[in-house]
Amino acid sequence: MAVLEISDLIAAWDPGTGARQPIAVADVTGRLRAAGDHRAARIVERMPATSGVLEPESVDRLLVRVHTELQRLAEELHMAERFVELLRPMLDAARSAGFRRLRVVDIGCGIGYVIRWLATTRVLGADVELLGVDQNPVLIAEASRLALDEGLPCGFACADAFALAEDATVYISSGVLHHFPVDELGDFFRAQDRPGTAGFIHYDIAATRLAPAGAWVFHRARMRELLGRHDGVNSARRAHGDRTLVTAAGQVGTMDIFLFAPIRHTNPFCAAMRPVVGIRPELSPALRRLLGRRARALHGTDDPVPSLRAAT
Amino acid sequence: MHAGQFDHVAVPVALAAVALVDAAFAGFRAATGRNARIEKRRYNLRAAVRGLAIGAASLAVVAAVLGIGLLGTHDAGHAYDALVQAGHRMLMVLMPFAAAVVVSLAGYWLLPMRESTFVILVGLGPFTLARPLVVLAAAALALHDSHRWLVWAGTLLASGGVLLVEPWVHRRWYHEPL
Repeated sequence: MAVLEISDLIAAWDPGTGARQPIAVADVTGRLRAAGDHRAARIVERMPATSGVLEPESVDRLLVRVHTELQRLAEELHMAERFVELLRPMLDAARSAGFRRLRVVDIGCGIGYVIRWLATTRVLGADVELLGVDQNPVLIAEASRLALDEGLPCGFACADAFALAEDATVYISSGVLHHFPVDELGDFFRAQDRPGTAGFIHYDIAATRLAPAGAWVFHRARMRELLGRHDGVNSARRAHGDRTLVTAAGQVGTMDIFLFAPIRHTNPFCAAMRPVVGIRPELSPALRRLLGRRARALHGTDDPVPSLRAAT
Repeated sequence: MHAGQFDHVAVPVALAAVALVDAAFAGFRAATGRNARIEKRRYNLRAAVRGLAIGAASLAVVAAVLGIGLLGTHDAGHAYDALVQAGHRMLMVLMPFAAAVVVSLAGYWLLPMRESTFVILVGLGPFTLARPLVVLAAAALALHDSHRWLVWAGTLLASGGVLLVEPWVHRRWYHEPL
Protein backbone atom coordinates (compact mmCIF):
# COMPACT_ATOMS: atom_id res chain seq x y z
CA MET A 1 0.00 0.00 0.00
CA ALA A 2 1.30 3.47 -0.89
CA VAL A 3 2.75 5.60 1.89
CA LEU A 4 1.61 9.18 1.31
CA GLU A 5 2.58 12.56 2.70
CA ILE A 6 -0.20 15.08 3.19
CA SER A 7 1.93 18.01 2.04
CA ASP A 8 2.31 16.38 -1.39
CA LEU A 9 -1.46 16.32 -1.84
CA ILE A 10 -2.78 19.66 -0.60
CA ALA A 11 -1.17 22.11 -3.01
CA ALA A 12 -0.59 21.95 -6.75
CA TRP A 13 0.29 24.35 -9.53
CA ASP A 14 -0.06 23.89 -13.26
CA PRO A 15 3.46 23.14 -14.50
CA GLY A 16 2.82 25.03 -17.72
CA THR A 17 1.05 28.18 -16.60
CA GLY A 18 2.02 28.23 -12.91
CA ALA A 19 -1.65 28.74 -12.03
CA ARG A 20 -2.81 27.32 -8.75
CA GLN A 21 -5.07 24.32 -8.99
CA PRO A 22 -8.04 23.87 -6.66
CA ILE A 23 -7.71 20.90 -4.30
CA ALA A 24 -10.91 19.14 -3.26
CA VAL A 25 -10.87 17.84 0.29
CA ALA A 26 -12.72 14.71 -0.80
CA ASP A 27 -10.06 13.89 -3.39
CA VAL A 28 -7.27 14.14 -0.83
CA THR A 29 -9.06 12.24 1.92
CA GLY A 30 -10.13 9.62 -0.61
CA ARG A 31 -6.53 8.99 -1.63
CA LEU A 32 -5.38 8.88 1.98
CA ARG A 33 -8.15 6.48 3.02
CA ALA A 34 -7.44 4.30 0.01
CA ALA A 35 -3.87 4.11 1.27
CA GLY A 36 -5.19 3.08 4.69
CA ASP A 37 -4.11 6.34 6.32
CA HIS A 38 -7.27 7.40 8.16
CA ARG A 39 -5.39 9.61 10.60
CA ALA A 40 -4.02 11.69 7.73
CA ALA A 41 -7.51 11.95 6.26
CA ARG A 42 -8.80 13.32 9.57
CA ILE A 43 -6.00 15.90 9.62
CA VAL A 44 -7.02 17.10 6.16
CA GLU A 45 -10.71 17.17 7.09
CA ARG A 46 -9.90 19.65 9.86
CA MET A 47 -8.21 22.05 7.43
CA PRO A 48 -10.17 25.16 6.39
CA ALA A 49 -12.15 24.63 3.21
CA THR A 50 -14.75 26.51 1.20
CA SER A 51 -17.34 24.48 -0.69
CA GLY A 52 -15.22 21.39 -0.26
CA VAL A 53 -12.07 23.02 -1.65
CA LEU A 54 -9.07 23.67 0.58
CA GLU A 55 -8.50 27.36 1.27
CA PRO A 56 -5.22 28.23 -0.48
CA GLU A 57 -4.17 30.89 2.05
CA SER A 58 -4.58 28.48 4.96
CA VAL A 59 -2.68 25.78 3.13
CA ASP A 60 0.14 28.22 2.35
CA ARG A 61 0.42 29.41 5.94
CA LEU A 62 0.40 25.81 7.16
CA LEU A 63 3.14 24.76 4.75
CA VAL A 64 5.32 27.72 5.76
CA ARG A 65 4.79 26.88 9.45
CA VAL A 66 5.67 23.24 8.87
CA HIS A 67 8.81 24.12 6.90
CA THR A 68 9.84 26.60 9.57
CA GLU A 69 9.54 23.84 12.16
CA LEU A 70 11.34 21.50 9.80
CA GLN A 71 14.23 23.94 9.68
CA ARG A 72 14.66 23.52 13.40
CA LEU A 73 15.17 19.79 12.88
CA ALA A 74 17.68 20.49 10.13
CA GLU A 75 19.53 22.84 12.47
CA GLU A 76 19.69 20.22 15.20
CA LEU A 77 20.90 17.58 12.77
CA HIS A 78 23.60 19.98 11.48
CA MET A 79 22.37 19.50 7.93
CA ALA A 80 24.17 22.55 6.53
CA GLU A 81 27.47 21.51 8.12
CA ARG A 82 26.99 18.01 6.69
CA PHE A 83 26.72 19.48 3.20
CA VAL A 84 29.80 21.65 3.74
CA GLU A 85 31.84 18.59 4.70
CA LEU A 86 31.40 17.30 1.14
CA LEU A 87 30.64 20.46 -0.83
CA ARG A 88 33.85 22.26 0.01
CA PRO A 89 36.21 19.53 -1.20
CA MET A 90 34.00 18.83 -4.21
CA LEU A 91 34.06 22.50 -5.25
CA ASP A 92 37.81 22.70 -4.57
CA ALA A 93 38.27 19.68 -6.82
CA ALA A 94 36.18 21.40 -9.50
CA ARG A 95 38.20 24.62 -9.14
CA SER A 96 41.47 22.79 -9.53
CA ALA A 97 40.11 21.04 -12.63
CA GLY A 98 39.37 24.39 -14.26
CA PHE A 99 35.65 24.80 -13.62
CA ARG A 100 35.15 28.55 -13.93
CA ARG A 101 31.82 29.64 -12.59
CA LEU A 102 30.87 27.58 -9.56
CA ARG A 103 27.21 27.13 -8.84
CA VAL A 104 25.42 25.14 -6.13
CA VAL A 105 21.74 24.41 -6.76
CA ASP A 106 19.57 23.04 -3.97
CA ILE A 107 16.74 21.00 -5.52
CA GLY A 108 13.47 21.14 -3.56
CA CYS A 109 14.96 23.70 -1.20
CA GLY A 110 11.71 24.51 0.62
CA ILE A 111 12.32 27.73 2.57
CA GLY A 112 15.99 27.48 1.66
CA TYR A 113 17.66 26.77 4.97
CA VAL A 114 20.82 25.14 3.58
CA ILE A 115 21.35 27.76 0.88
CA ARG A 116 20.75 30.63 3.32
CA TRP A 117 23.11 29.07 5.86
CA LEU A 118 25.81 28.69 3.22
CA ALA A 119 25.24 32.32 2.19
CA THR A 120 25.44 33.54 5.79
CA THR A 121 28.68 31.75 6.57
CA ARG A 122 30.22 32.24 3.08
CA VAL A 123 32.02 29.05 3.89
CA LEU A 124 32.25 27.92 0.26
CA GLY A 125 33.95 31.07 -1.00
CA ALA A 126 32.78 34.27 -2.65
CA ASP A 127 33.05 32.76 -6.15
CA VAL A 128 30.26 30.24 -5.51
CA GLU A 129 26.77 31.17 -6.64
CA LEU A 130 24.05 29.78 -4.39
CA LEU A 131 20.60 29.04 -5.76
CA GLY A 132 17.62 27.27 -4.22
CA VAL A 133 14.82 25.95 -6.42
CA ASP A 134 11.46 24.49 -5.54
CA GLN A 135 8.21 23.86 -7.38
CA ASN A 136 6.21 25.50 -4.59
CA PRO A 137 6.02 29.30 -5.15
CA VAL A 138 4.89 29.95 -1.58
CA LEU A 139 7.97 28.32 -0.08
CA ILE A 140 10.20 30.11 -2.59
CA ALA A 141 8.58 33.43 -1.67
CA GLU A 142 9.27 32.73 2.00
CA ALA A 143 12.89 31.71 1.28
CA SER A 144 13.38 34.93 -0.71
CA ARG A 145 11.81 37.02 2.05
CA LEU A 146 14.09 35.50 4.67
CA ALA A 147 17.19 35.95 2.50
CA LEU A 148 16.27 39.58 1.82
CA ASP A 149 15.60 40.17 5.51
CA GLU A 150 19.12 39.07 6.40
CA GLY A 151 20.75 40.53 3.29
CA LEU A 152 22.10 37.20 2.10
CA PRO A 153 23.97 36.71 -1.19
CA CYS A 154 21.88 33.87 -2.61
CA GLY A 155 18.92 33.41 -4.92
CA PHE A 156 15.72 31.39 -5.08
CA ALA A 157 13.60 30.40 -8.03
CA CYS A 158 10.33 28.60 -8.50
CA ALA A 159 11.51 26.29 -11.23
CA ASP A 160 12.49 22.87 -12.37
CA ALA A 161 16.16 22.56 -11.41
CA PHE A 162 16.92 20.83 -14.70
CA ALA A 163 15.25 23.49 -16.83
CA LEU A 164 17.46 26.34 -15.61
CA ALA A 165 19.50 28.30 -18.15
CA GLU A 166 22.78 27.20 -16.52
CA ASP A 167 23.91 23.86 -15.17
CA ALA A 168 24.82 23.57 -11.51
CA THR A 169 28.40 22.69 -10.68
CA VAL A 170 26.98 20.68 -7.81
CA TYR A 171 23.35 19.70 -7.31
CA ILE A 172 22.31 19.10 -3.73
CA SER A 173 19.09 18.13 -1.97
CA SER A 174 17.88 17.22 1.45
CA GLY A 175 14.91 14.95 2.07
CA VAL A 176 13.86 14.92 -1.57
CA LEU A 177 14.83 11.42 -2.74
CA HIS A 178 12.08 9.62 -0.84
CA HIS A 179 9.49 11.62 -2.78
CA PHE A 180 10.45 9.72 -5.94
CA PRO A 181 9.14 6.21 -6.61
CA VAL A 182 11.95 3.70 -7.14
CA ASP A 183 11.40 3.60 -10.90
CA GLU A 184 11.83 7.40 -11.18
CA LEU A 185 15.04 7.64 -9.18
CA GLY A 186 17.17 6.72 -12.19
CA ASP A 187 15.71 9.59 -14.23
CA PHE A 188 16.37 12.02 -11.38
CA PHE A 189 20.02 11.05 -11.16
CA ARG A 190 20.50 10.87 -14.93
CA ALA A 191 19.18 14.43 -15.27
CA GLN A 192 22.28 15.60 -13.40
CA ASP A 193 24.64 14.25 -16.01
CA ARG A 194 25.31 17.68 -17.55
CA PRO A 195 28.33 19.23 -19.19
CA GLY A 196 28.79 21.86 -16.48
CA THR A 197 28.15 19.55 -13.56
CA ALA A 198 30.93 18.20 -11.39
CA GLY A 199 28.78 16.15 -9.07
CA PHE A 200 25.86 15.89 -6.68
CA ILE A 201 25.17 15.35 -3.00
CA HIS A 202 21.70 14.17 -2.06
CA TYR A 203 20.91 13.61 1.59
CA ASP A 204 17.90 11.64 2.72
CA ILE A 205 16.71 9.75 5.75
CA ALA A 206 18.75 6.59 6.28
CA ALA A 207 16.32 3.71 5.83
CA THR A 208 17.24 1.87 9.01
CA ARG A 209 14.82 -0.30 10.96
CA LEU A 210 14.71 2.33 13.68
CA ALA A 211 14.04 5.24 11.32
CA PRO A 212 10.20 5.34 11.59
CA ALA A 213 10.24 5.06 15.40
CA GLY A 214 13.05 7.61 15.64
CA ALA A 215 11.19 9.94 13.31
CA TRP A 216 8.07 9.62 15.46
CA VAL A 217 9.94 10.54 18.64
CA PHE A 218 11.86 13.35 17.00
CA HIS A 219 8.89 14.92 15.21
CA ARG A 220 6.62 14.49 18.24
CA ALA A 221 9.19 16.25 20.39
CA ARG A 222 10.05 19.04 17.99
CA MET A 223 7.06 19.81 15.80
CA ARG A 224 3.68 21.24 16.77
CA GLU A 225 1.82 20.86 13.50
CA LEU A 226 -0.01 17.56 13.11
CA LEU A 227 0.76 17.59 9.40
CA GLY A 228 4.48 17.91 10.09
CA ARG A 229 4.42 15.09 12.61
CA HIS A 230 2.52 12.84 10.24
CA ASP A 231 4.64 13.57 7.18
CA GLY A 232 7.87 13.26 9.15
CA VAL A 233 7.11 9.67 10.10
CA ASN A 234 5.90 8.78 6.62
CA SER A 235 9.09 10.27 5.16
CA ALA A 236 11.07 7.75 7.20
CA ARG A 237 8.74 4.96 6.07
CA ARG A 238 9.21 5.99 2.42
CA ALA A 239 12.99 6.33 2.61
CA HIS A 240 14.80 4.20 0.04
CA GLY A 241 17.33 1.62 1.14
CA ASP A 242 21.02 2.36 0.62
CA ARG A 243 21.45 -0.21 -2.13
CA THR A 244 18.40 1.12 -4.01
CA LEU A 245 19.85 4.62 -3.99
CA VAL A 246 23.35 3.62 -4.98
CA THR A 247 22.02 1.40 -7.76
CA ALA A 248 19.73 4.16 -9.09
CA ALA A 249 22.50 6.76 -8.95
CA GLY A 250 24.77 4.29 -10.72
CA GLN A 251 22.57 4.66 -13.81
CA VAL A 252 24.28 7.99 -14.46
CA GLY A 253 27.15 6.00 -15.90
CA THR A 254 29.52 8.94 -16.26
CA MET A 255 30.02 9.57 -12.55
CA ASP A 256 31.57 7.70 -9.67
CA ILE A 257 28.82 6.97 -7.14
CA PHE A 258 29.26 6.64 -3.40
CA LEU A 259 27.33 6.46 -0.23
CA PHE A 260 29.01 8.68 2.35
CA ALA A 261 28.80 6.93 5.70
CA PRO A 262 31.60 6.85 8.25
CA ILE A 263 31.76 3.23 9.40
CA ARG A 264 31.57 4.00 13.09
CA HIS A 265 28.48 6.09 12.47
CA THR A 266 26.46 3.57 10.49
CA ASN A 267 24.50 2.45 13.54
CA PRO A 268 20.85 3.51 13.34
CA PHE A 269 21.21 6.04 16.14
CA CYS A 270 23.87 8.05 14.33
CA ALA A 271 22.81 7.51 10.74
CA ALA A 272 19.69 9.66 10.74
CA MET A 273 20.56 11.20 7.38
CA ARG A 274 23.16 10.16 4.83
CA PRO A 275 23.97 11.18 1.29
CA VAL A 276 24.38 9.64 -2.09
CA VAL A 277 27.35 11.31 -3.74
CA GLY A 278 28.17 11.44 -7.43
CA ILE A 279 31.32 12.96 -8.93
CA ARG A 280 33.07 13.01 -12.31
CA PRO A 281 35.71 10.26 -12.31
CA GLU A 282 38.46 12.75 -13.16
CA LEU A 283 37.62 14.71 -9.99
CA SER A 284 37.31 11.68 -7.78
CA PRO A 285 41.00 11.42 -6.79
CA ALA A 286 41.09 15.10 -5.83
CA LEU A 287 37.93 14.69 -3.75
CA ARG A 288 39.47 11.76 -1.89
CA ARG A 289 42.69 13.66 -1.33
CA LEU A 290 40.85 16.72 -0.03
CA LEU A 291 38.63 14.64 2.22
CA GLY A 292 41.72 13.10 3.80
CA ARG A 293 40.87 10.44 6.37
CA ARG A 294 37.17 11.08 5.85
CA ALA A 295 37.50 9.59 2.35
CA ARG A 296 37.21 6.20 4.03
CA ALA A 297 33.54 7.03 4.49
CA LEU A 298 32.97 6.88 0.72
CA HIS A 299 31.46 3.51 -0.15
CA GLY A 300 30.80 2.41 -3.70
CA THR A 301 28.60 -0.46 -4.83
CA ASP A 302 31.62 -2.77 -4.76
CA ASP A 303 32.60 -1.55 -1.28
CA PRO A 304 29.33 -1.59 0.57
CA VAL A 305 28.58 -0.12 3.95
CA PRO A 306 27.85 -2.93 6.43
CA SER A 307 24.32 -1.66 6.84
CA LEU A 308 23.53 -1.40 3.13
CA ARG A 309 20.04 -2.75 2.81
CA ALA A 310 18.26 -4.40 -0.05
CA ALA A 311 15.95 -2.36 -2.21
CA THR A 312 12.84 -1.16 -0.41
CA MET B 1 12.37 11.20 58.52
CA HIS B 2 13.16 14.68 59.75
CA ALA B 3 14.55 17.41 57.61
CA GLY B 4 17.93 18.65 58.82
CA GLN B 5 18.95 22.30 59.05
CA PHE B 6 20.92 22.00 55.82
CA ASP B 7 17.94 20.54 53.99
CA HIS B 8 15.75 23.39 55.21
CA VAL B 9 17.69 25.70 52.93
CA ALA B 10 19.22 23.39 50.34
CA VAL B 11 16.02 21.64 49.23
CA PRO B 12 14.00 24.78 48.43
CA VAL B 13 17.02 26.42 46.82
CA ALA B 14 17.71 23.35 44.67
CA LEU B 15 14.06 23.10 43.64
CA ALA B 16 13.91 26.79 42.78
CA ALA B 17 17.13 26.55 40.78
CA VAL B 18 15.89 23.54 38.81
CA ALA B 19 12.56 25.27 38.16
CA LEU B 20 14.20 28.48 36.94
CA VAL B 21 16.72 26.75 34.66
CA ASP B 22 13.91 24.59 33.29
CA ALA B 23 11.81 27.72 32.71
CA ALA B 24 14.59 29.33 30.68
CA PHE B 25 14.84 26.23 28.49
CA ALA B 26 11.04 26.08 28.26
CA GLY B 27 11.09 29.65 26.96
CA PHE B 28 13.69 28.68 24.37
CA ARG B 29 11.64 25.67 23.28
CA ALA B 30 8.49 27.78 23.05
CA ALA B 31 10.21 29.97 20.48
CA THR B 32 11.80 27.24 18.40
CA GLY B 33 10.38 26.43 15.01
CA ARG B 34 8.93 29.92 14.72
CA ASN B 35 11.86 31.84 13.29
CA ALA B 36 13.57 30.60 10.15
CA ARG B 37 16.27 33.24 10.06
CA ILE B 38 19.81 31.93 10.27
CA GLU B 39 21.10 34.34 12.89
CA LYS B 40 18.83 34.16 15.91
CA ARG B 41 20.98 34.20 19.03
CA ARG B 42 19.25 37.32 20.35
CA TYR B 43 15.87 35.84 19.49
CA ASN B 44 16.67 32.67 21.44
CA LEU B 45 18.13 34.59 24.36
CA ARG B 46 15.05 36.78 24.56
CA ALA B 47 12.80 33.70 24.52
CA ALA B 48 14.83 32.15 27.35
CA VAL B 49 14.51 35.36 29.37
CA ARG B 50 10.76 35.36 28.78
CA GLY B 51 10.57 31.76 29.99
CA LEU B 52 12.67 32.67 33.00
CA ALA B 53 10.38 35.57 33.83
CA ILE B 54 7.24 33.44 33.63
CA GLY B 55 8.96 30.72 35.65
CA ALA B 56 10.00 33.23 38.30
CA ALA B 57 6.45 34.59 38.50
CA SER B 58 5.10 31.07 38.89
CA LEU B 59 7.66 30.37 41.58
CA ALA B 60 6.67 33.56 43.39
CA VAL B 61 3.05 32.39 43.46
CA VAL B 62 4.11 29.05 44.95
CA ALA B 63 6.29 30.80 47.53
CA ALA B 64 3.46 33.18 48.45
CA VAL B 65 0.93 30.36 48.88
CA LEU B 66 3.35 28.33 50.99
CA GLY B 67 4.36 31.39 53.01
CA ILE B 68 0.77 32.32 53.76
CA GLY B 69 -0.02 28.69 54.52
CA LEU B 70 2.88 28.43 56.97
CA LEU B 71 1.94 31.67 58.69
CA GLY B 72 -1.60 30.47 59.09
CA THR B 73 -0.85 27.09 60.60
CA HIS B 74 -0.34 26.36 64.30
CA ASP B 75 2.57 23.91 63.72
CA ALA B 76 4.62 25.82 61.18
CA GLY B 77 7.81 23.91 62.07
CA HIS B 78 6.30 20.52 61.35
CA ALA B 79 4.57 21.82 58.23
CA TYR B 80 7.86 23.21 56.92
CA ASP B 81 9.52 19.86 57.69
CA ALA B 82 6.84 18.09 55.70
CA LEU B 83 7.35 20.46 52.77
CA VAL B 84 11.11 19.94 52.84
CA GLN B 85 10.66 16.16 52.91
CA ALA B 86 8.28 16.34 49.96
CA GLY B 87 10.75 18.55 48.13
CA HIS B 88 13.49 16.07 48.89
CA ARG B 89 11.45 13.29 47.32
CA MET B 90 10.84 15.47 44.26
CA LEU B 91 14.54 16.04 43.88
CA MET B 92 15.19 12.30 43.95
CA VAL B 93 13.36 12.15 40.60
CA LEU B 94 14.30 15.53 39.19
CA MET B 95 18.03 15.59 39.85
CA PRO B 96 18.98 12.44 37.90
CA PHE B 97 16.88 13.70 34.99
CA ALA B 98 18.45 17.16 35.21
CA ALA B 99 21.92 15.58 35.32
CA ALA B 100 21.15 13.51 32.21
CA VAL B 101 19.91 16.64 30.41
CA VAL B 102 23.04 18.60 31.38
CA VAL B 103 25.30 15.79 30.15
CA SER B 104 23.31 15.58 26.89
CA LEU B 105 23.48 19.33 26.35
CA ALA B 106 27.21 19.33 26.97
CA GLY B 107 27.52 16.46 24.52
CA TYR B 108 25.45 18.26 21.92
CA TRP B 109 27.53 21.43 22.14
CA LEU B 110 30.96 19.84 22.49
CA LEU B 111 30.93 16.64 20.45
CA PRO B 112 31.61 16.41 16.69
CA MET B 113 28.68 16.67 14.29
CA ARG B 114 27.61 13.02 14.11
CA GLU B 115 28.07 12.25 17.79
CA SER B 116 26.14 15.43 18.48
CA THR B 117 23.29 14.09 16.35
CA PHE B 118 23.43 10.86 18.34
CA VAL B 119 22.91 12.87 21.53
CA ILE B 120 19.88 14.58 20.00
CA LEU B 121 18.33 11.33 18.81
CA VAL B 122 18.78 9.29 21.97
CA GLY B 123 18.87 12.10 24.53
CA LEU B 124 17.47 15.55 24.04
CA GLY B 125 14.63 14.54 21.69
CA PRO B 126 13.20 11.77 23.89
CA PHE B 127 13.93 13.85 27.01
CA THR B 128 11.60 16.57 25.76
CA LEU B 129 8.83 14.00 25.46
CA ALA B 130 9.66 12.47 28.85
CA ARG B 131 9.81 15.79 30.72
CA PRO B 132 6.09 16.08 31.63
CA LEU B 133 6.11 12.47 32.82
CA VAL B 134 9.18 13.14 34.94
CA VAL B 135 7.49 16.16 36.53
CA LEU B 136 4.36 14.11 37.23
CA ALA B 137 6.44 11.29 38.70
CA ALA B 138 8.27 13.76 40.94
CA ALA B 139 4.94 15.22 42.07
CA ALA B 140 3.49 11.78 42.76
CA LEU B 141 6.50 10.83 44.86
CA ALA B 142 6.33 14.13 46.73
CA LEU B 143 2.67 13.55 47.58
CA HIS B 144 3.20 9.93 48.54
CA ASP B 145 1.91 9.34 52.06
CA SER B 146 1.41 13.03 52.71
CA HIS B 147 -1.89 14.31 54.09
CA ARG B 148 -0.99 17.95 54.60
CA TRP B 149 -2.91 20.32 52.36
CA LEU B 150 0.10 22.62 52.19
CA VAL B 151 2.24 19.85 50.68
CA TRP B 152 -0.47 19.09 48.14
CA ALA B 153 -0.96 22.76 47.29
CA GLY B 154 2.77 23.43 46.97
CA THR B 155 3.43 20.32 44.89
CA LEU B 156 0.52 20.77 42.52
CA LEU B 157 1.12 24.49 42.06
CA ALA B 158 4.85 24.03 41.47
CA SER B 159 4.40 21.11 39.07
CA GLY B 160 1.62 22.84 37.17
CA GLY B 161 3.67 26.01 36.96
CA VAL B 162 6.68 24.17 35.55
CA LEU B 163 4.54 22.47 32.90
CA LEU B 164 2.72 25.66 31.93
CA VAL B 165 5.73 27.87 31.20
CA GLU B 166 6.36 26.58 27.68
CA PRO B 167 2.74 26.68 26.41
CA TRP B 168 2.25 30.06 28.08
CA VAL B 169 5.31 31.64 26.47
CA HIS B 170 4.48 30.01 23.15
CA ARG B 171 0.90 31.23 23.13
CA ARG B 172 1.80 34.71 24.37
CA TRP B 173 4.73 35.49 22.08
CA TYR B 174 5.34 32.77 19.50
CA HIS B 175 1.95 31.66 18.28
CA GLU B 176 2.74 32.67 14.69
CA PRO B 177 6.03 32.41 12.79
CA LEU B 178 8.04 35.61 12.45
